[in-house]
Amino acid sequence: MVILVTGANGDIGQAIARRFLHNDAASRLWLSVRSRRERAEALNAEFPGRCRILSLSAAEAAEWESAIAGILQTDERIDVLVNNAGLHRDHLTANMPGEDWAAVLSANLDSVFLGCRAVIRPMMAQHFGRIVNIASLSALLPPKGQSNYAAAKAGVIAFTRSLAKEVARSGITVNAVAPGYIETEALKGFSAPEKQGLVQQIPMRRFGRPDEVAAAVEFLACPSAAYITGSVLKIDGGIL
Amino acid sequence: MQPEQDALKLGIKTMMISELMLTLKPDEISENAPIFSPDGLGLDSVDALQLVVALEKHYGLKLPDAEAASQVLHSIDSIAAAISASRHAAQTGPALAPPD
Repeated sequence: MVILVTGANGDIGQAIARRFLHNDAASRLWLSVRSRRERAEALNAEFPGRCRILSLSAAEAAEWESAIAGILQTDERIDVLVNNAGLHRDHLTANMPGEDWAAVLSANLDSVFLGCRAVIRPMMAQHFGRIVNIASLSALLPPKGQSNYAAAKAGVIAFTRSLAKEVARSGITVNAVAPGYIETEALKGFSAPEKQGLVQQIPMRRFGRPDEVAAAVEFLACPSAAYITGSVLKIDGGIL
Repeated sequence: MQPEQDALKLGIKTMMISELMLTLKPDEISENAPIFSPDGLGLDSVDALQLVVALEKHYGLKLPDAEAASQVLHSIDSIAAAISASRHAAQTGPALAPPD
């Protein structure tokens, strides 16, 4: 399978790419990164000949069009798109600069729209496609201070459900996963007492691991998950 | 010319049945009836998009916008005419010389 994972330098993107590379020896991974690429390059070195690194600003329509054209020119198909790129800039809404609202909506929601739009026609032509959008538990249980991120991720879920209906007849499934508290760079910003407070909210009494998100993505992307579309799989240790 | 056109129309119908997963036989699809009218094949905008993609894949027919698509996708006859015209254009090149 030919697979594109955006945000491939991040913890969850890395885990997703690694899982595909480990479990499907025939897979070809396109790793898209925006600026930092050192971890994507390390993965490429670890799995020689299996990865290609793509510079992509996921909120730029023209970059998506040329990225997908490049993949089709090289590999002649695109089977899986994992829209994982995103960012958050948390503020109380009263204090939120307009540019941080716009940047978060653009990086998390526009990027998903643009990525999906770019792959729909090639996936329709091949009568097969798997799109997995990385949403967030924040979309379902929005915390204070994340109105921009929660709105964007809720938008991703609604978008996923709508698009799933549009392409259902074409062999394309579109699903989302909603990770809760996962051990990533983002969690490192919390102090030890804050982390303890977060863990108390999780019925499993632990944070999730990036690989546990990757396992859900891999499942939704596999050919046999053909009758699952428009779903949101939460990965949160039982919070919701 | 007529046998060639008949073969083309049969090919379009067969392709449509396969691509749109229709439970019809080719001779049950009328060649001049509107494809997307309520009393036609019961197809919707999602089918139209799949048809646009399929026509490009199988016949190299590019329908760049919704207006072009709605004209061409009117009936089997209109689709066949558009494919024939695009093949003719490809063989003969542009009708007008480019400006200096």
